[in-house]
Amino acid sequence: MTYYAYFVAGAVMLLGIAGLATSRNLVHAVVCLSVAQSATYILLIAVGYQSGAVAPIFGAQTGRDTPVVDPVVQALALTDIVVSAAVTSMLLALVVQMAKRRRVVDPDHLGPLEG
Amino acid sequence: MSEGILTDVLIAVSLTLVLAGAAIVVFVRRPARQAVALSAYGVLLTVLFLVLQAPDVALSQVAVGSAVVPLIVVLAIRKVESIHANAGSRDAEREH
Repeated sequence: MTYYAYFVAGAVMLLGIAGLATSRNLVHAVVCLSVAQSATYILLIAVGYQSGAVAPIFGAQTGRDTPVVDPVVQALALTDIVVSAAVTSMLLALVVQMAKRRRVVDPDHLGPLEG
Repeated sequence: MSEGILTDVLIAVSLTLVLAGAAIVVFVRRPARQAVALSAYGVLLTVLFLVLQAPDVALSQVAVGSAVVPLIVVLAIRKVESIHANAGSRDAEREH
């Protein structure tokens, strides 16, 4: 089961990279990048998961002896989600600027970089 | 014992759904439709995190991944299209 989760994470990462490589539109490419980053959420959560464990919220039902899943990788995954949103919004702002200055959204029609 | 098997089946089904959703998001070529697919993919990831016993991650994922990021994508698409429309009208004026 854990190996299947790792396989899914790798496959989602490869799908995102493939979409990024074959993209004809810069907005499409940015969304593919966020899909590739979502593979890291799956990987992080799957690393911390134990079968039979409950969510790491301690209260009346969950004490010191109850097996819980790893909360550290969950915190990392939460950070990852927020970073992904920030990266996506910044890259889309760059795409809008590129459309303003060059009037292209196809990466193949971009000219060489100008300093 | 049967509960463990049920949990395993749930995890396997949600992982498969996430894989299919990622494939759909990548292979939809038109960005406007892709934003809708991305929103649905965010909901699928939320279900996966709930099944994998990560409720707080699921909360932030349903807020960010299925509402905020698709909204930003749609706004960017509209902005790019309005820029293109303005450029087209300006070129038409120049030809006259």
